[in-house]
Amino acid sequence: MRITRKALLEFGAPALLLVAVCVIGELVSVGTQQDFISALVNATIVIALWVFIGNSGVISFGHISFVALGAFAAGLMTIETIVKPNVMPNLFPFLQHHSIGNVPSLVLAAAIGGLVALVLGAPLMRLSGLSASIATFAVLGITNNVLTYWEKIGPGAQTLSLVPETTGPFQALVGALIALVIAFVYQHSRSGRLLRAAREDPHAARAIGVRIERHRLVAFAISGALAGLAGGLLVHQIGSITTNQVYLDLTFLTLAMLVIGGMSSLWGAVVGAVGVSLLDSFLEHAENGTGVIFFHLKIPSGASLLILGVLMAVALLFRPNGITGGREVSLSSLRLRVGPRRA
Amino acid sequence: MPDAPALSVEGLVVRYGGVAAVRDVSFEVGRGEIVGLVGPNGAGKSSTLMAIMGAVPPSAGDVRMGGRSIRGKSPEDIARSGISLVPEGRHIFSNLSVRENLRLGLVGRRESNGVGKDLEWIQSLFPVVKDFADRHAASLSGGQQQQLAIARALLAKPDILILDEPSLGLAPVVVQAVWEALREINRQGVTVLLVEQRAQITVSFCSRTYVMSNGQLRMTLTPGDADNTERMVHAYFAS
Amino acid sequence: MTALQYIIDGIALGSVYALVAVGLALVFGVMRLVNFAHGELITAAAYTLYLTASWPKVFALAMSLLVAVALALLMELVVFRRLRYAPPATALIATFAVAFALEAVWLIAFGPQGKSADVLSSLNQTATHGKLHIRWVTITMVGVGAALLAGTGVLLNRTRIGLEMRAAAADFRAARLLGVRANRVIGTAFVLGGLFAGVVALLLTASQPLVTPTFGLQVTILALVGVVVGGMDRLVSATLGGFAIGFANSLLGDVLPSSQGVFLTSFLYLLVIVVLVLRPGGLFVPGGAAARVERV
Repeated sequence: MRITRKALLEFGAPALLLVAVCVIGELVSVGTQQDFISALVNATIVIALWVFIGNSGVISFGHISFVALGAFAAGLMTIETIVKPNVMPNLFPFLQHHSIGNVPSLVLAAAIGGLVALVLGAPLMRLSGLSASIATFAVLGITNNVLTYWEKIGPGAQTLSLVPETTGPFQALVGALIALVIAFVYQHSRSGRLLRAAREDPHAARAIGVRIERHRLVAFAISGALAGLAGGLLVHQIGSITTNQVYLDLTFLTLAMLVIGGMSSLWGAVVGAVGVSLLDSFLEHAENGTGVIFFHLKIPSGASLLILGVLMAVALLFRPNGITGGREVSLSSLRLRVGPRRA
Repeated sequence: MPDAPALSVEGLVVRYGGVAAVRDVSFEVGRGEIVGLVGPNGAGKSSTLMAIMGAVPPSAGDVRMGGRSIRGKSPEDIARSGISLVPEGRHIFSNLSVRENLRLGLVGRRESNGVGKDLEWIQSLFPVVKDFADRHAASLSGGQQQQLAIARALLAKPDILILDEPSLGLAPVVVQAVWEALREINRQGVTVLLVEQRAQITVSFCSRTYVMSNGQLRMTLTPGDADNTERMVHAYFAS
Repeated sequence: MTALQYIIDGIALGSVYALVAVGLALVFGVMRLVNFAHGELITAAAYTLYLTASWPKVFALAMSLLVAVALALLMELVVFRRLRYAPPATALIATFAVAFALEAVWLIAFGPQGKSADVLSSLNQTATHGKLHIRWVTITMVGVGAALLAGTGVLLNRTRIGLEMRAAAADFRAARLLGVRANRVIGTAFVLGGLFAGVVALLLTASQPLVTPTFGLQVTILALVGVVVGGMDRLVSATLGGFAIGFANSLLGDVLPSSQGVFLTSFLYLLVIVVLVLRPGGLFVPGGAAARVERV
C-alpha cells in the first residue's frame, strides 16, 4: 500500500479526532472523563462494525456478541484467583484458578472474538441481505442466552464484578488507534477492495471469479477480533459487566452510530461513534440531574432514549447516507491546498 | 388547447448524479400521429420516457400534454390523465394471472363506460389475452407477454400510447404482428410514440422518427429516408 | 397435559404469531421495509386496554384497535414516507429509532413495572371436554387468527385494492406507471398492520395481562425471525414462517424439561441458523434452496 497524501489524510483525520477525544478526556473532571473514555471504546466497537458492514454491505446484528465474549473473557481472567471460587463456584476449574494481566486479557479478548467469529461466521457468509442479518441476530441471541445461563463459564445472570479498572483515556485511545490502523490496512488490502467491489455488483464480481464468501469471512473475523478487543476495553473501564449491557440496547446504539456517521466510510464510523456517544452521555447526565460543563438540564428518566431515538430518525430523514455522506475525508472536502497548485 | 400537439417535450434535461442522460431534447407528437424515437443503447431514450411519465424528475425543461404542463406530477397522476406507457422489458406482474394483469390496466382508465366493447376489440387484436386469461403471466412467452403489456396499456383507453422497445428480444414474425396491431391501434385514434433500437424499420413505419444519441436529438427522418437510414446515420456520426 | 394439548396450544400461539407476521409482510411487500417498530403498535394497543379498563368492554377493545391503527398511519406519514426511496440500511435503522423512541415514551408514561390490562382475562377460564382442558382464550386465538387470515386472503385476491397491493409488491414502479396510487396501497398495508397488531395485543393480554414497555418487542423480533425463515418475499410463506415459529416456541416450551428450559432461546435460534443456511430463500418457498436475488 502506497503512502500517498490521500491515504495520510484519510487515516489522519479519524486518528486526530480520537487523539483529541483522549486529550480532552485527560483534562476534564473525573466524572466527565468516563464519557470520553466511552466515546473511545464505542469508537472501537463501531470501527469493528464498519470493517464488516461497511465493506460487505451486509448489516450484522450480531457483533455485540463478540464484544460480550471479549468483555466476559477479559473480565473473568483478570479477577483475582482468591476471589473467583467464592463469587462463581460453578466455574470450570482452569478458569477459576488462573488469572492474567491487563494487556494479556485484551489480547485474549481479541483472540476469542476473532476465533468465534471465524467459526460461527463460516457457514453464514453465503447468506445475503435480510437472511444474513437475521442469522447474525440469532448469533446475538444465542450468545446472550448462553452467557446468561451457563454458570460454568461465567457469573450467569449476575454481574461480573471486581474487574480491575485499567481503561483510562490513554488505554482506550491505544485500543481505538489499534483498531483504526487494522481497519485502515484492511480497507486498502486486496481482500477489502474485492469485497467492496462485490458489494456494488455481486453478479459481476462472481462472474470474474471473486470468492465473495471467503472475503466476507475475512472481514467478519477481523471485525470479530476488534469487537472482542473493544469488549476487553469496556469491561476494564466499568470494572464490571452484565449480559444486558452487551445486548439489544448496545446493538441499536452502535448500529445507529455507524449509520448516522455514514455506513460506508471509516471516517463516518469514527465521527458517528464519537458524536452520538458524547450526546448520549450528555443526555444521561441530564437525566441524573448532574450538569456537564456549563449545561444544567433535568429530563425525566428514559427521556434520553426518546431524544436519541427522535434525533436519529430526524438525522436519517435529512441525511440518509449519514453525516459524512459515506465518504472518506478528502482534500476537496477540507479545501486544503497542500503543495503547489496543479494546472 | 385544441391545436396543441398531443405530447411535447421542450428543452428536457435529465441528470443522474453528475451525468446528463438527456441534454436539451425537444420534440413533439401530434394528435393521431405515430412518431418514432430511435438510437443506440444508452442514448437516453428510456430516460426521456421516464421523465415524461414522471418517474424521474427533469433537471430542466418541460413536458406538455395537449399544451398543458405535466412536469412535476406523480407517475400515478400522469398515468391517469390519458397517457399509457408500455415499459422496456414489459414489466408484467409475474405473480398475477393474465386476467389480473389486464384488470390493472383499468386503474388508469378515465371513462368507466365501454369497458366491455374495448375489451372485445383488444381481444381481437391480441387473442392471447383471452385464450390464456387464467394462466400465470409468468408462463407466457416473451412475445405473448409483450402483447399482454400492450393490451393492459390499451385498456386504460389512453389518448397517447408510448412503447419502450417493444420488439426487444422478440422473433421477427412476432414483431411484425405487434407492429400491425400498433397500426390498427393508431387507426382507432390513439397517438403513438414508439421507441426502438432498430432504426430502419422504425423509420419506414412511423410518420416521423427522431434519432437520438448521447442524450441529444441528432436528426429527424421520414419514411422516404428509410432506405438510406443506415447510411445517413453512419454518415452523421462519421463527420 | 397430553400431546394433543401441546399441539392445540402450539396452534394457538402460532396463530397469534401468524397475525404479527402478516402485518410485517404486508408492509414489507409494498415498501420493502422491515418495520421494527411494529411491536410498538402492539404495546400501544395493550396500554390503551389498560387505560380503558373501566370502559364498557366493546368500547375498550375498539379504542385499542383504533390507537394501533392511528399510530401505524402516523408512523408512515411522519417517518416512513420520507424514507421510501432511501437506502435499505437507513430505513431499517430508522424503524429501530422509532421503536426505541416509542419504548422510551412508554417508559416515561407508565414506568418500567408492568400495568395490568385484564379486560379480556375472563377468557382465561377453562372449557372442559372429556379429558381435554382448553382455555377459552386458546380457542379464541385460533378462531380469530383463522378468520383474520382468511379475510386477508379475500381482500388480497378479490378486491381491487388487494390486486393493487399485490401488483405493487411485485413491481412497485410498474404499478405506479399504471396509475396505482402509492400512498393508497402503502396506507392500506399500514392500516391492516395496525389492525392486526391491535388484535394481537388483545389476544396476548387475555392470557397474560401484564403490559411492560417491551411487551410487543419480543413477539415482533421472534415473528420477524419466523418471517425471514419462512420466506420474506411472499405473503403465504412469510405467514407460515410466523406460524411455525410460534408453534415451535410453544411446543418446545412445553416439551423441554425445565432445567434445559432456559436454553430454549438458543435452541430456537440455532434452528433458525440451520434453516437459513440450508434454505436461504425461505423454508416454505418452493425452490427456496436457491436464494432469490436479494433486493435488500
